[in-house]
Amino acid sequence: MVTRQRPRSTRLLVVALVSISLAVITLDYRQGDAGPLAGVGTAAKSVMAPMQRAVTTVIEPVGDFFSGLAHLPSLADENERLTEENDALRGQIASDAYEQEQYRGLLDLMELRGSLDPTSVPALVIANGISNFEYTITIDKGSNAGIEVDQPVATGFPGSPMLVGRVVQVTPSSSDVRLIIDRDYAVAATVEGTEEAGLVEGQGDQDLRMSLVGEGTVIEGDESVFTQGYEVNGEAGLYPPGMLIGQVSRTIEAENVTQQYVEVRPAVDFETLQFVLVLQARTEA
Amino acid sequence: MTRRVLVTIVVIVTALLLQSTLFWNLKLLGVRPELMYLITIVIAILEGPNEGAITGFAAGLAQDFMLNQPKGITALTLTLVGYAAGLARQYIVSPSPLLPTILVGVGTAAGIAFYQVVAFLLGQLEETFSYAIRVTLLTALYNAILTPIVYPLLRRVIEGSRPTRVVRF
Repeated sequence: MVTRQRPRSTRLLVVALVSISLAVITLDYRQGDAGPLAGVGTAAKSVMAPMQRAVTTVIEPVGDFFSGLAHLPSLADENERLTEENDALRGQIASDAYEQEQYRGLLDLMELRGSLDPTSVPALVIANGISNFEYTITIDKGSNAGIEVDQPVATGFPGSPMLVGRVVQVTPSSSDVRLIIDRDYAVAATVEGTEEAGLVEGQGDQDLRMSLVGEGTVIEGDESVFTQGYEVNGEAGLYPPGMLIGQVSRTIEAENVTQQYVEVRPAVDFETLQFVLVLQARTEA
Repeated sequence: MTRRVLVTIVVIVTALLLQSTLFWNLKLLGVRPELMYLITIVIAILEGPNEGAITGFAAGLAQDFMLNQPKGITALTLTLVGYAAGLARQYIVSPSPLLPTILVGVGTAAGIAFYQVVAFLLGQLEETFSYAIRVTLLTALYNAILTPIVYPLLRRVIEGSRPTRVVRF
């Protein structure tokens, strides 16, 4: 049913709404993270966080099932592993097996926490960014738990911490973490077994890209890439050195050395990520 | 009227929740749907350009505040998308049950493209051109696929919240 309306008032309404939008864009653009709009954003996120947490708790097994399905095609040629995967999937649907897996992941993480940074804050992933243009996750701990903007976020097993991203926004009870695959993300890194160092930059849903600094190093592929510790004017870098970022998946040769880069496949599976550690102290991994 | 506002808020919050949780794992070739675009266009089809623009503005602003990007771009985009979809519905006379699906697909593609152009002009878009095209087409396709599920659902919800029930004999 479409009601008959006076077109003029509708047009006025649209003009008004468009003007408000433009005003919001301008205000936010000028004030950045300090203005009243940022405050409204923080408030909105604080309201959403408990709901996101509840929804995630309910749908996580379902989501894992579908995410597992999405990975199946790439395994098609490995019949044996496919069967295994199927069994694993079936097992996952059963909730007790699912809980067991969660428990094991959590144990691993707590052990990692003990060895890496005992003061770090363990947190649960409760939501993901809502846009196709940014890669973030939301975790269930915020400033009340001592989390601050720019703190590095890790996951992994005992003895092998992996870099997830860094905190970009904090509310009292939740934080947004920008993932290393986000296109705004860059981190200094080294390639295992070489003197090679460079900047690893996110490429969205494609593999990360690492620009190379050194000349003439042979990179064969499959080398691990780790965060690099550095110091500028006595100020330590954001990340502890030695955190795993991923494996070299492809080397791009170019005539010009400055254009050479390698592609790095991230070590973390961001689609199934459930628990993370927010590092507080600047320690060696 | 209050009931109507409440229903719209519930619809927007539900869509935001699903968008930020379930659809992270339910991607179509690596791309998520844009539920805000979907509900804006569906409500515009059902209720006309006035409601389309208002719903679009509210849904867009809600999404903007959940993003870590300059706020207001989605609100601007969806206000225009809602208005345009509402207008288009009034001018297209077709009994085809496919019409909502087509309108959602075209509307989403136009909206996402517009969003990216504005974000690019503000220096906020870091994507490659090929990714921009891919996201535009795939989100449009994904939204269109979801329409046969969402449209009847929203129609029941919206019609149930109309202030005056029309009684026909």
